[in-house]
Order: sequence, then structure tokens, then C-alpha cells
Amino acid sequence: MNIIEIKDLTFTYPGAGKPTLNKINLQIEKGDFVAVIGNNGCGKSTLCKVMNGLIPHFITGEFEGSVMAGGINTQESDIGELARTVGYVYQDFENQIVRPTVLDDASYACMNYAMKDYKERGMEALKQCGLTGRENDYIWQLSGGQTHLLALAGAVSLQPDVLILDEPIAQLDPHHADLIYEILKDLNEKYNKTIIVIEHHTEYIADYCKNVILLKDGHVEWTLPSADALCRVEELKQCNIYPPQVTLAAYELEHKGRIRDIEILPSTIEEGKKIFEGLLHKNTDKKEKSDLTKGEACVTYENVFVSYRAVKGEANKIFENLNLKLYEGEKIALIGSNGAGKSTLMKLMTGLIKPSSGQVILKDKKVKDTKPEQLSRYVSLVYQNPEDMFIKDSIESDIAFAMQVRNEENWQERTERLLERFRLAELKNRDGRLLSGGQMRRASLAIGIALNPEILLLDEPTANLDIATRKEIMSTLNDMKSITKTVMIATHDMQLVCEWAERIIVLYHGRVIADGTRDEIFGNKEVINKVGIRPPEIFTMGQTLDSNAFCYTVNEFVEQFV
Amino acid sequence: MEKVKKKLSENILDKISMDFLRNQVLKNAYGNDDTVIAKLDPRILLVWYLFFAIVPWFVNDVVFLAGCFILVAATTILARVAGLVLVLFGLGVFSQTGYMFIVSLFFGGNWETIVPLLIMTLKVATVSLASVTVFSGLDPDRLSNGLMWYGCPERLSFSISYAYRMLPMLMEEFQNVLLSYRLRGNAPDSTTFGGKVKYLIYQIKVIVHAFYPLMLNTAKRSRTTVEALEIKGYRYAAVNKEVKKMKLSSLKVGYNDMMFAAISFLCVAVTIFTTTII
Repeated sequence: MNIIEIKDLTFTYPGAGKPTLNKINLQIEKGDFVAVIGNNGCGKSTLCKVMNGLIPHFITGEFEGSVMAGGINTQESDIGELARTVGYVYQDFENQIVRPTVLDDASYACMNYAMKDYKERGMEALKQCGLTGRENDYIWQLSGGQTHLLALAGAVSLQPDVLILDEPIAQLDPHHADLIYEILKDLNEKYNKTIIVIEHHTEYIADYCKNVILLKDGHVEWTLPSADALCRVEELKQCNIYPPQVTLAAYELEHKGRIRDIEILPSTIEEGKKIFEGLLHKNTDKKEKSDLTKGEACVTYENVFVSYRAVKGEANKIFENLNLKLYEGEKIALIGSNGAGKSTLMKLMTGLIKPSSGQVILKDKKVKDTKPEQLSRYVSLVYQNPEDMFIKDSIESDIAFAMQVRNEENWQERTERLLERFRLAELKNRDGRLLSGGQMRRASLAIGIALNPEILLLDEPTANLDIATRKEIMSTLNDMKSITKTVMIATHDMQLVCEWAERIIVLYHGRVIADGTRDEIFGNKEVINKVGIRPPEIFTMGQTLDSNAFCYTVNEFVEQFV
Repeated sequence: MEKVKKKLSENILDKISMDFLRNQVLKNAYGNDDTVIAKLDPRILLVWYLFFAIVPWFVNDVVFLAGCFILVAATTILARVAGLVLVLFGLGVFSQTGYMFIVSLFFGGNWETIVPLLIMTLKVATVSLASVTVFSGLDPDRLSNGLMWYGCPERLSFSISYAYRMLPMLMEEFQNVLLSYRLRGNAPDSTTFGGKVKYLIYQIKVIVHAFYPLMLNTAKRSRTTVEALEIKGYRYAAVNKEVKKMKLSSLKVGYNDMMFAAISFLCVAVTIFTTTII
């Protein structure tokens, strides 16, 4: 039985030149777990909003064709009725939560639709989403992953047959991403919900989704079972979608003729194991070791203790007796789970957070005795949320701001050059907030290096970006290596870590538990398991085949396995 | 002396940092949900507030006012109001009438001049403390339910509890924007006295400027919120009487509420009794 049936749907936003959705015909079966993929701006979100009736009831435009959801014609029904058939979780899910406490928010929709047992329904939804025990917590006490689960619970509480999630894991670390998908799987199998996700992470599609729908320029290109869909490497790449690394490696190897006679390219490590079995690892024997002759330290943390004031009860201790040295010219990645102290470590350098005891020394300056305004010449911090960096009404004046107020020589020219360098010249008069994710990120990087700092700190520079934009930012970061001497990135993105960093520092509960090159870190199983680091898929694939294989990119894998 | 000077010259952003302010505001809004006052029925507390917000203005009896003041002060202590709010309260009362009270003492004021000022100070203090107790001791969500019971429009009560949910996010965002200004801006040198004044003006300017990006960021967020509210049936509920009844069914007058009302009544009665005897 089809739970979603779309016939000849064409939708045009008011004022738009051409339709966003063009002659869409689509059926989704009840109980399916389906991923919608496609280029940015191909109409994925619009399609999902059509299914839950926000279009045309709340967002108007030219609407043609018919959409049936759970046997209800969306045009003839109202949003209230549809909400009980189709649940929706936004990409910016935190804005979807409107009540101060957990149970309150989970049961809010049920209460509004005058269901007498709204509390019980809320509790049930929290149980289904794995949030039992947090009922009376305040929203701000939840972690990012839990907040997402709550947004999901809010949709689940009405017990709709269909759940739509817009990029559910874009903002989460791998541990929480797994958690979300396990819960979705549970909802799909145990509670028989139809799940529709908009997803860029093809590894997750391979592991969890049954079918894939490719959208291209507003129409459905094809609907295929996941395994078949992910094999269409060239086609996916054209749409800026990157198949799992295992699939890419098999595709390359097949092209080179090193593996033959495969019916279907592997998309998971298990499948990869069978396909790559016959290959031998070419022993490269050159393990990267930490360079122990490092010269002068440019940042020193000496016995640093930091704690935060808590709203209730004891202060939270972030660091207890932290000692760390950073050297000039290093490219450092700072990794560790959410709340391990990554941001705090960086903010200590800028003087925004002061240690309760111990000290941070920048070159020969004690951070404690220097004003943050003066430190900003040496250290520059780029926030995780680029919107907080935009304080002027155009990105041009944002980039110029710091130089202008300091009366730097020829700041106009330098602004001009930065705009060129980060490919922002054409957008220079736009407000930063209105740019796309990748543009926003580039603008924030340009702002960050405007003062030519000696040390650049980046907090999660690739979070919230789709894979194509992420690749773009990664190459920008590689370009920037020559501009700024010392760079530190705090991130969950292990591909970025592997391709960019020369030194990796692992934080765990406020302590440095590992520090070294990528071979030293990813080769250390104990640390990996303890912190819950997920190496890039291709690395794990290599390790499964041969424990001496250290390959971090698809190219390295293809070179090393013959 | 040198030390005192240094202390005084430390500026607002360092001394009362945004972090501190944020902490205090959050403490006030969320940190005291387990106090006796917070658990009371909001309807009882609102009536109680009405009494202590209106009656003191019409009575000029020192003993009665002092009695009320002591009672209200006791409830403020019970509500565990955050320190910052109390400091603001103290400053407020002092700047209204308190300073006149002290000045008149210095310039040979006698009992006759002091009494009217004392009465005025007590009135202002009682009324403000009552507001502090009710509006900061009671969690905003319960407060909004109470207001709704008395027939305030649904929209008002929703706004109160929504603001309550958004507060921590907004404070954090404001802090970040402020830091952006701070790190990228060029603060005037603050070693001389003139520099310090300039620095103070600069900081106030920055705080004002920081509101602009904050507002734009909030506007950007609200798009999703509006759609989500639609899906969650907010509009549907606003016109449905049944929903209002369900919301308010959580309000119950219990033993503690009765005790609170009784004790307050008793205290007021005792003070009235005392004045009549005197």
C-alpha cells in the first residue's frame, strides 16, 4: 500500500521564475525507510513540505497536481489533520522546540489538538525516542543530540504514520548520529512508521535506508533500492553527492582492472570485505611519527583549572590541571566528544575565559594580564556559528571592520584582496546571514584572518554543511595553510582531521589523553574506543583487511592495495 | 588606596561580565523551581500580590507597613531570589526615597520629618519586594497559567513561556555577538582617567550595537518556529475552549496554598490588631 502518492505535482513559489517542483510523480510504500538525495536547491525540502501540507496551506504558491498522504488529499484537508499523518523534523530543529521543559514540549501538540491523555502520549513519544528519564529537564540542559530526539518526539507524539526528517545528523557527532539512526530504525521496524530522510551522508544511507529517491532540477530522476542507487557513482557525483568511500574505492579499483566480475559495488564495510579479499597490502613501512624537536612553544598551558558557574548546585569543572604546549607553525586538530572542553581550550587562548588557577602564556605574554582586545592581534577565533560573527550589515564592512577601527594601512585594498581570495567579491554587499551555508563559512574565515593573526582558531568549520560544501571548505582550509602560521581546528569531522592536520590532540573529560600524528592516534585502538572516535570509513576498511594498512583517503587506499 | 583605585577602575564588562549576568538571569528564571514559593498555586499568589501591591499605598500607618514589609521580605527569602535582582531592588528603593531619608537625618531632621519618609520607603519597598517574589520566585510558565485563569489572552501567556524557553539561547547569542565586537573592535586606551571614561562610553556603545545582529539572528530563526507552531496546532488551540480547560486543570489549590494564605492573613491581622492597641 502506498502511504504517499504524488501525481503530476508542479509547485512554484510566488515570484519565482520557474517551478521548484516540476511534474513530480512519486509513490512511497507504507513501512519504507527512504532517503531523498539531490543537489542543493533541487527542491528536497519543498517536496517534504508538500507532503505534510505546509504547502499549500501555510506557504502559498502555484500548486498543480495532487498529493495523497495516508489516504488524505492534502489540498482538501487541513494542517491539523495532516500533522497526525505526517510528522516533520526541521534541519534547524532547535527552533522547532517551543516549550521550556522536555515533557511539556513532547506533549504540546497533543494538548493543542485537545487530546485528553496528552501527558501519556508525550511520555510514550519520549520512550519511543529514548528520552525516558529526562521528562522534567529544561531544554537547555539537553545536548545537541538529545535536543534533536526531543524535536522528533514532538512529531512522534501525534503518532503519525510518516516521519520526515530534514538532514537529521548534520550537526551531530558520530555517536549521536548513530543513536538517531538506531532510533529511526526502531520506529521503522517496531512501530511500523514510514521514515523519509533528506540525507547527504551516504554511509548512513547504506547502513539504514531501504530505498533512495534522487531529485534533480525539481523532478524525480529515479527511485532505487539503496545498494543499486549508491553504485551509480558518476551520476551521484554530478549531483554533488559522494557515495560511501568503500564504494568509491571499489569503483576506482574496478576501473583500474584490479578487481573484476563484481555484480554490484559494495557500500558497507561488510560487503567491502568480500570484494577486496583478494587484494594485498603493499607495505609502505613509513609510519608518521611525532617530531620531537619542536623548537620554541608559542602557547603554553600551565596547570590550568577551569570551571563554569552552574545555574544550580556545584560549578562544573572543565579542566583540572591541564598542561599543554603548542608550537609555532603547527596544524593542530582538537578532537573529542561534545562537552570534552574543546571550545574552552580555545577560548582560554583568546582571554575570553580566565582559568581559576594556573596560567596560559602566549609567546612571552601572560593571557591573564593582557586585554582580549590586544590579544586579538595574535589570536583570532572563528565561531562554530558564523552568524555570531556578522556584526555589520554587509560582509564587506564585516571583513573591513577590525582593520578599519585599528586604522591599518591600506585596509580598503586588503579587504578587496580578502574578498577576492575567498570568492566573495560578488556578494560583498549582502548581509552575511542571508548567504548560503558555504558562503557564510567562507565569509567567517575571511573575517577571522583579516588582522593577519599568528594563531588562528576554528571551531567546527565544517559542521552543518553538506558534503560538497564541506569539500569546498576543506580545500579553502588547505589553501590557508600558507597564510597563517599556527592553526588549530576543533572538529568531529575525521576526514578533515586526516586530510589536514599534522598534529592531533584528543581531549577526554577535560584531559589530553592522546597527542600525536594521525598514525599514532588512529593506530591506538584503546584511545579510539574510549573516546568513541570514528575514523573515516576507508581507514576502517583498510584496517579490516590488514592491520598494517594506514590509508586515510580513497586514493591512498587504491594506491596501497594491489 | 592604590588597590581601591584599581578595583574601581575595572570596567563593567570585566567586573559584571556577560557570563555573570547570564548566570544570574538564568538562576532567577530556572534555578529556584524547588522553593516553597515556586510550588504555590499561581492564582493564590496573584491575589496575594494584588493585596500587597495595592493596599500599602492607601495606608499610612508605620506599624502596619512595617509588618507587611517583614512578611513580604520573608517570602522573598523563601523564594531564593538571585543576588543581582536583590541588589537592583536595593538600588531602586534607595534612589527613590532612601537617600532622602538619610539626607534628612544628616541635616537635623527629627522624628517628624523622618516618619513620612520612612512610610514612603516602606511602601515602595513592600510593593517592589512583593513583585520580586511573585515574578521571579514563580516559574514563568506557572505564572502564565495563572494569568490565563484570570482571563488574560492566550497570546500573552504563550509569549511569557516562550520567552522563558528562548532566554538562555538569546543570552548566549548576545554574549557571542558582544565578544565579536570586543575581539575585533579597537577599545580606547584606558590607562588615564580620560581614557577610562572613553572606555566606559565605548563599552556602552558596543552593548547597544550588539542588539542589531541579535535581532536579525532571531528574525531568521523565527521562520521555522512559526511553521512548527502551525504544525503543532497552536492556532487550533487558541480558539478551542476545551484546550484551555485542559491546560488549567493542572492548577490545584493544595494544603500549602491554604497555609500560605492563612499565615499571610494572620500576619496582616496581627499588625492591624497591634496598631489599634497602640
